[in-house]
Amino acid sequence: MLSPPIRRSRGLPKVAGLLGLALVASGCTVANSEYVTGGGADGLRIVLPQEPPTLEACQSSLTATGVVVRSNITEPLLERDPDSGELEPLLATEWEQTSPETWTFKLREGVTFTDGTPFDAEAAAFTIDRAVNSDLACEVEGYVFGDTDLEVEAVDETTLTVTSPEPDPILPLRLSFVEMVSTKTSTTEKVREPIGTGPYRVADWQAGQRLSLESNPGYWGEVPAYKNVNYVWRAEGSVRAAMVANGEADIATSLAPEDGAGELAVAYANNETTALRMQADQPPLDDIRIRQAVNYVIDRKLLAETLFEKLAQPAGELIPDGIVGYEPDEQIWPYDAARAKQLVDEARADGVPVDTEIRLIGRNAQFPRITETIEVIQGELAKAGLNVKIEMMDTNAQLEYQIRPFPKDTGPYLLMIMHGNQAGDAAFTLDQYMLAEGYQSSWGTAEFDQKIRAAEALVGQERQDAMAALWQYEQEEITQYAYIAHMSAIMAKSPNVSYRPNSASGDEMRLAEMSPVS
Amino acid sequence: MTGFLRRRAVTSLLPLIAVLLGVFFLARLTGDPANLYLPVSATPEQRQNFIEANGLDDSIWVQMWDYLGGVLTLDFGDSLRTGESAAAMALRAFPATLQLAFSTMLIAVVGAVVIGSWAAYRPNSVADRISSFLSMTAASVPDFWFAIVGVWIFAVSLGWLPTSGVTGGMASWVLPVATLVIRPLGVLTQVVRGAMVSALSAPYVRLARSKGAGDLRVVTHHALRNAAAPALTVAGDLMVGLINGAVVVETIFGWPGIGKLMIDSILGRDFAVLQACVLLTAVSIFVLNILIDIGYALLDARVREKVSA
Repeated sequence: MLSPPIRRSRGLPKVAGLLGLALVASGCTVANSEYVTGGGADGLRIVLPQEPPTLEACQSSLTATGVVVRSNITEPLLERDPDSGELEPLLATEWEQTSPETWTFKLREGVTFTDGTPFDAEAAAFTIDRAVNSDLACEVEGYVFGDTDLEVEAVDETTLTVTSPEPDPILPLRLSFVEMVSTKTSTTEKVREPIGTGPYRVADWQAGQRLSLESNPGYWGEVPAYKNVNYVWRAEGSVRAAMVANGEADIATSLAPEDGAGELAVAYANNETTALRMQADQPPLDDIRIRQAVNYVIDRKLLAETLFEKLAQPAGELIPDGIVGYEPDEQIWPYDAARAKQLVDEARADGVPVDTEIRLIGRNAQFPRITETIEVIQGELAKAGLNVKIEMMDTNAQLEYQIRPFPKDTGPYLLMIMHGNQAGDAAFTLDQYMLAEGYQSSWGTAEFDQKIRAAEALVGQERQDAMAALWQYEQEEITQYAYIAHMSAIMAKSPNVSYRPNSASGDEMRLAEMSPVS
Repeated sequence: MTGFLRRRAVTSLLPLIAVLLGVFFLARLTGDPANLYLPVSATPEQRQNFIEANGLDDSIWVQMWDYLGGVLTLDFGDSLRTGESAAAMALRAFPATLQLAFSTMLIAVVGAVVIGSWAAYRPNSVADRISSFLSMTAASVPDFWFAIVGVWIFAVSLGWLPTSGVTGGMASWVLPVATLVIRPLGVLTQVVRGAMVSALSAPYVRLARSKGAGDLRVVTHHALRNAAAPALTVAGDLMVGLINGAVVVETIFGWPGIGKLMIDSILGRDFAVLQACVLLTAVSIFVLNILIDIGYALLDARVREKVSA
């Protein structure tokens, strides 16, 4: 039986024509992009590598959140000057230690949150309580306060006392991480958008698309130069650099040397230091000679000059210059492949299972050329006689190995880490990375813990000296880490914008410090 | 035809369920998202609260039944990252991907038909060389390279186009579509060329010529119609790839589509959003495959007879 004839050939062109017409009729507008149009075109445009996961103020110790929120939408009581390291007044005008455990803060008058509620001692107490003492599991609690709960009291409208269980000489510095939020903020769950006192407030945030800030008309301080600020995000560094080169953005952050920002590139020292953490409770890494061998095979100078294009400095400690507790005469392991091989051979002769496979774990895109860096190190370790296998992971997978509780039955592994001390005091690094039970430490000794605690209890020059001495001790007696390099960051900046990045810019990019070039 | 559609729906159901279960189990193999969402100092209680609040404390089978129940009621849960409905996020992103995919395929099909037919009609001509060049390029150059080079040439050096984003009107489309179209255009051109070479040497074409049909009529009304079936099959496969999310292009150009959303969801261990995206694309691909089958039946009487039977 014959099928009826079908006029086929005219159907497809019609469909094609209709599709074309539909596209033209839509004005070439991309679906899901209606939010992206308009708003703030004459303002400041910043392109970030990723969207902030949240703008919740108590999460602002997360880099991707803090870079937008801190000192822009919300403000702390005090802020640390990244150049001098000194604490400067912000929402608190004065502070003093009124007993070994208690600090008293005098608060700024005439400040209101963007929802109209007043900023006073009640609001400050509410915020600290919410961030530090609640069950919200805030990042700032983990990063700055650990297990410590604080007692906060609003003495009167402008006087606040904060009491810690033990004397804490750097409590004001810790509190500089707590961004003040309105008392109308939920205490039972984290919020997406904070109500703060900062020079800007959220105008429009379309997840996945764009974040717009507008200047806070009731801001207590100096009016910022830009009325509107638009953030967008592009994962590819070369696209971010191209956006500034093409005049589509004014500032692009987190660039690599090869991203091509050219004359628009501005390199600046950040607080990040790279290192290998050695899981020293697992053989053969439980033998200090193997950990020393790992240190000997890393040619830090070569890495800094080649892969990091002279934008990094060889490191002998986990904090850079400018942080209290930095040792200026840091002892950097020399590159000595022969000595490394000798140490491995000695260990083998003593029955240490040096042929056991060691995993060398890295996080994709954690810093420019991390893969090449890890490959270089693996090659050197192989020459020294160790059996090392590279494993590159995404952030979540790598964090399982970086943060306690560590996975079980992993075998020995070397973990590439990059640590940025945002706070300006080595205590924040020591607590997490050096204490035997630190959240990001694989092991230690009771004696080293004691030294750390003793140093942290000191103030002034004594504190500086005691902390600085710990790095050498760690390298000689503990050797949990092979420090690699103090890193730098690169941003692309339009010639139309006046801004000088500093060591804190990666974590806290203060919009009020930016202005148009007249 | 109704019977055919019913049979097709039933046979597609199994792969659809396999995809749903596959993404469910594979996502959970990637680890606990607690480290991404909780501070380093999170207490065991806080970790437990997080796990319970997100239903991760139940056995994997209970989670699976909950998930499948949610699928039936179109409730995929909320995003871990944004707290928004996962289904709403997926549905909002999907049209942007469809726009990109359809625009790309439209250009690829039209371009492939013109170049492929010309190349088959005039072997070793300019069109034939373009055809070879396109197929070689499609096979050997990765998307991201095209995208980055395109940005630097057309946006930065020449200043003709925006680097990325979706606010530049027609200009915003050029680089993403141009990047995406290379592969389907190259592949389709070769398919059309091959099919047309066969068709142009077939007896019915010689018969048409002997009856005095002109070159254009021979190509468009006789050869091309018969060469369309294999091209349609390949175009369908390529379209599936585009609908599945032009991940690289969407990520590089900041295109607000489902590919970018899926990548963000994977990196953020945002299981609910990932599952909603995968289901949406799987259903779309299922519908697209049915449309391809229908198109195939319309083009080929033999297939149509089988369908009718």
